[in-house]
Order: sequence, then C-alpha cells, then structure tokens
Amino acid sequence: MKNVLCFTDVTLTYHTTRGETTAAEGLSFEVGEGEFLAVIGPSGCGKTTLLSLAAGLLAPSSGEVTRAGRCGYMLQKDELFPWRTIEKNIFLPLEIRREKEKNARSGAVELAKKYGLGDFLQSYPAELSGGMRQRAALIRTLAADPDILLLDEPFSALDYQTRLNVCEDVSKILRGEHKTALLITHDISEAISLADRVLVLTARPAKVAYSHTLDFGDVVSPLKRREMPQFSGWFELLWRELNA
Amino acid sequence: MKHSYSAEHARFLRKRRRKLALVWALRIGLLALFLGVWELVTALGWADPFLMSSPSRIAKTLASLYADGSLFYHIGVTLLETLIGFAISTVVGCAVALLLWWSETLKRVLEPYIVVLNALPKIALGPLIIIWFGTGAEAIVFMTVLVGVIVATMHMLTAFLSTDKNKLLLLRSMGASKLQILQKLVVPSSLASFISMLKVNVGMAWIGSIMGEYIVSRAGIGYLIVYGGQVFKLDLVMTATFLLCLLAAGMYFAVVLLEKILVKNEEN
Repeated sequence: MKNVLCFTDVTLTYHTTRGETTAAEGLSFEVGEGEFLAVIGPSGCGKTTLLSLAAGLLAPSSGEVTRAGRCGYMLQKDELFPWRTIEKNIFLPLEIRREKEKNARSGAVELAKKYGLGDFLQSYPAELSGGMRQRAALIRTLAADPDILLLDEPFSALDYQTRLNVCEDVSKILRGEHKTALLITHDISEAISLADRVLVLTARPAKVAYSHTLDFGDVVSPLKRREMPQFSGWFELLWRELNA
Repeated sequence: MKHSYSAEHARFLRKRRRKLALVWALRIGLLALFLGVWELVTALGWADPFLMSSPSRIAKTLASLYADGSLFYHIGVTLLETLIGFAISTVVGCAVALLLWWSETLKRVLEPYIVVLNALPKIALGPLIIIWFGTGAEAIVFMTVLVGVIVATMHMLTAFLSTDKNKLLLLRSMGASKLQILQKLVVPSSLASFISMLKVNVGMAWIGSIMGEYIVSRAGIGYLIVYGGQVFKLDLVMTATFLLCLLAAGMYFAVVLLEKILVKNEEN
C-alpha cells in the first residue's frame, strides 16, 4: 500500500516571548492510500498542530512530513462564506487554484447533486440547516479533488442527532469516493465508528502511544458499527489508554 | 401573495402596524411641538426673537436666500466640499488600511503615529492649512480629509484584522496567496464594517467641512453661520443650522440606501 502522508520523527517547538513549548517530539506515523486513520489524544496534546503540520501550514522543527498530492482541510465549523451561494462556496478551492478546466467545476456540481445538495446550489448558507452546511463544506473540500482529507473534529459543532447523521453522511461520501482521510478528534466513539485504524497520542509533547487496526470487517456505516458487539470493547480499551 | 392568515396572526399584524403608526405620529408630533413652542414663546415676547429667532423667521430667511439666488449657491459649495472630502478620506483610509493589513511591520511602525494623529485636534492645524492651501475650497477639502481619514483608516484596519481566523486557515490550506485571501475573504467579509465606516465618516466629513469654513471661507453653510454670528443675524445662523441638519440627514440616508443595495444577500 502506497503512503499518502508520512510523518518521520517529527518534532515541533513553538516559540513565544515567554519561552518555548515542545508540541510534538519524535512523532512518526503514516497514512496509506484509501485508509481512514483517526487520531485521538488527551486535550491539549496538539491535535490541531498535527493537522497544520500535515497540511504543510507549519514546518517541523526537525524530522520530515511528506505528502503525496494535495490536502483538503475540513474544520469544526463549516466556514462557508455567507456572501457566496453554496455553488460559489464549492467552487472556492478551484478558484484559488485558478482551475480553468470546465470539468472540475461540473465535477463539483455533480458531487453536490449526488449527495443531495442539487436543489440548494443557488441558496445562501444561512438558508441551510447545520447538517446540510457541514455536508456542503465536505463537498467543497472534495471539489478540489484532494489526495488526503484532513478532518479537524468536523462534527463537534453540531447537536447530537445532526452529528450522528452527518457522521453517517461523511463516512458514506468518503468511502464512496475512495478517499484517504486523517480524522483528529477527542470523541472516542466517533473515531471507532469511522476509522480503519486509530492512533492514540500521548500528552504534550505528542507522540504515538498506541496504534490499533479495528476489526469491523466490511462494515463502514458508523451507526451499524455502534451496534456491533466489539464496539464497546474498543471504547473501553481506548478510554483506558487515553487516561493512562 | 394570497393571504390565509389565522385571526390571531391578523391581530398580530394589526398591532404591529398600529405601533409603527404611533411611533411615527409621536416623532412628527415631537417636532411640531418643538417648533410650535418656539414660535409661541417668541411671538408672545417671552423670549427675544432677535436672540432666539423663530420658525417663521427661519422660513422668511430661507425665502429671501432663495429669492436672491444664494440659497443653492451656499448649499452647493458646502455639499461639494463635503462630498469631495468624504470621497478622498474614504478612499485613502481604505487604501492605507489595506497597506497596513498587508504589512505587519509597517503597521507596527506606523501605529504610534496614527494614534497621535487621531488624538490631535485637527483645528489646531488651521493656521498651517491657510498658509499651505490659501483661503479657497482646497483648504476646506483638506480639513475634511484630515478629520475623516484617520478614523476611516482605523475603522477599516480593525475590520480587516478581525477576519475570521478559521476562514483564513481554510484558505491557506487551499494554498491561497495573500492577494487571493484579500480578494476572496478579507474584503468581502469587511463589507458590513465598510458601511458602518461610511456612516461614521459622513458625520466626520460634515465636521471637517464646517470647521474648514469657520477658519477660511467666502461661501457655504459654515460661512453663513460665522457671518451671521459676526453681524448678529441669528436668523441666518439658525437657518444655516437647519439646512445643515437636512443635508447631514440626507447624506446619512443615502448611505443607508447604499447599504440596502449592497447587503441584500447576507441574511445573517
């Protein structure tokens, strides 16, 4: 399996006038093509730092981060631009890339139609529900045709019911489009219900404490996974490892 | 649209309409009361109309200004100075704010100077302005720009700097250049602040132009006020003040209209 993202012995130190903080030390892991990797860690372990490193927005102090291809970043809130229609929002990454290709735009529109946003392309974000907006944000991320998706707790701003539904949506869309994804979350059950593999980070400075390949077989639906017997076993294990 | 409201909803709408009518009636009533009392106390001789003027004397003064053709001349002079000063200070203010947003270093270097310029009472520069620009309209426009530009700059810089951090992160993760971030995010998200800056700057422009006319002028509303004061024609002072109220309100509502046109899509 080809690696799309690879962290090799990454150390990152933040410098402020008050001193320096080591956010990550000797951090190594990789994400294979088509893999859905979830990363959990105690709060304040530098999860967002990790995503910034992965996206290339931060350079490591030492070590190496290699990426094969483009990243798509999805944040906690949808961050749709309120002055743009849904369609214009979805085109945003293409505009940034100065994509002249007409296919890219029609591809993005197709994607939106496929996942239930066809009737809302000319609507403004304020007219959509929270779940729909987050789905639009995912389509926007996918419109750039990224080789890896970086998901920064993309459901944490939603209420519980919407959250389960959007989680289901995202899983279906990402699996359906055969995307590679790196999910960062503090929600253990979300990690278990979505991922192929889960990494547990240590407290700051972050490094990989445990890595587990989940055994749900072909079951990729988060809701179905939650009903399976091994779900609670994984939850208990990860809970203990997080609090160790 | 066909209406099929419930009786309760109809009552609710009626109540709202009544409330609105009441507010308007009170607004107009208040003005009428003020003018009526003013007219009455001067007509009955309780207050000296020579010092207090009165609504009827203001109307007479307006009529005579109109008759000798100087009414629209003075309005035109002041309006033009104000509009030019307003436009220049808005454009320069936005441009400087953009520059300061672009360069963090430049912003930090210039910050103390901007603070001092903002705190400085611009009227203190009056003598310098007369010497540099003479006693024509240029001096007044310069004063107007001076009063407005710093406020416009600071207002817009605050708006640019308060751009949503997460949206910035999102654009950077898409590989956006600084220019693209400016075009796609910083400028459009500052629209509401731009409008509120225009509203503030309308007031600033009037302060600037009237202040300028106090210092140097041979025409304009500010000139009428100063001249009226010097020759003790308080009717003229009051009339000019009344005109100023109308003009400032008119310009403010022009900005409100602009806001309605520009901000129609952003419901939230």
